[in-house]
Amino acid sequence: MQFVIALFAASHQPSARRALRFAEAALAGGHQINRLFFYQDAVSIANNSQVQAQDEFDLPAAWREFIERHQLDAVVCIAAALRRGLLDSQEAQRYGRPAATLASGYCLSGLGQLHEAAQQADRLVCFGGD
Amino acid sequence: MTTLHILSTSPFADQRLASCLRLLSPGDGLLLCGDAVYALNPDCAPRQALELMPEQIALYALQEDLDARGLHDWPARLQVVDYPAFVALTLDYARSNSWL
Amino acid sequence: MARSMLLISRQAPWAGPAAREALDLALAGGAFDLPLSLLFLDDGVLQLTSGQQPQQLQQKDLGANLQALPLFGIEQLYASQRSLTERGLQHAELGLPVQRLDDDEVRQLLASHDLLVTL
Repeated sequence: MQFVIALFAASHQPSARRALRFAEAALAGGHQINRLFFYQDAVSIANNSQVQAQDEFDLPAAWREFIERHQLDAVVCIAAALRRGLLDSQEAQRYGRPAATLASGYCLSGLGQLHEAAQQADRLVCFGGD
Repeated sequence: MTTLHILSTSPFADQRLASCLRLLSPGDGLLLCGDAVYALNPDCAPRQALELMPEQIALYALQEDLDARGLHDWPARLQVVDYPAFVALTLDYARSNSWL
Repeated sequence: MARSMLLISRQAPWAGPAAREALDLALAGGAFDLPLSLLFLDDGVLQLTSGQQPQQLQQKDLGANLQALPLFGIEQLYASQRSLTERGLQHAELGLPVQRLDDDEVRQLLASHDLLVTL
C-alpha cells in the first residue's frame, strides 16, 4: 500500500519521533511512502543548524539518514519554512540571508504537494502534537 | 466508512479527548499515543469515559508510550499495539484522523 | 474521481499561525479544484466572530482569507453548534455563512469524507 505521511510538530516534539518510527515500520512491512510532507512547526525537522548534545538522540539526523537511505520524496512547505527560518540556498540568496538552513534531502515546495500526494496514495497519516 | 482517531495529548490538558469521544461512530477506533495514554491512569474520569464507550468502538494504545510512563493496569478492552500494528490499523480503517 | 477532504480547524485565530495555516491548506486544495469541506470545531469557531480587529495585534486579517474560501470553490463550510454554544456564540452573528451542525451531523460529516485533517 502507498502512504503519505504529513508532519506538523517541531523536531523536539514526541510526534516527530513517532512519525519516524511509523515510517520505518511501514517500509519494513513492504509498503511504500510516496511522500513525506513537513508543515507548520515540523519544518524544523529539516533544519540543518540544530545541534544536539552528544548524549541526546539526534532526531533530525535520524530523519535525514532515513530519507537518504530510502531515497524518499521529502517536501517542506515553503511558506511555513520561510516564516521559521528554513531556507535553501536559492531562498537565502533571494532574501539576503547569510546561510541556507535546509538540510540536504529535503526540497521546498507548496501546499499543493500535500494535496496531490494525498490524492494518489492509499492512506494519509498525520503526526503532530505531543 | 470507519475512522481511526489518533490522540496524543494529555486528557488533563485540553479538550481533544472529550471532543473526540463525542464524535466517534460505531466501528471507529481510538488509538492513544504519547501523553494521551495518561487517560488510562487508574480511577480517573477519562479512563471511566473510555471504559464506557460503546463496545463497537475499539480502543488501542501504543506499547512504548505505556511502558515509558509505567502504565501497566489496563482496561480489559484495551488492545496494545507496536508500530507494525499501528501501520496495519491505519489500513484496517478507511482513514485516520489525528487530533493534532 | 478526486478524493474528498474534510479539514477540521480547531485553533483560536490569534494563538499563533496554526489557524492561518489550516486555512492556507484549505485554499491550496481549493486552488486544485479538490472537493474540500471545512469544519470549525472547538476553539476554531472563534475564528468566525465578526468585529475582530487583528491589526491591534499586528496580524493580517484572517477574516479576509475566510471570505476568499467560496472564491476558491470551498463552499462546504460548517461549524459545530456545540462548540459555538459552549463559547456563548449560539446567537452571535458570524462573519462567514456556515452551516451549524449538531454532534450527530458532525459524525456524519466525518464519515462522508475520504480524508480527514484536523489542525
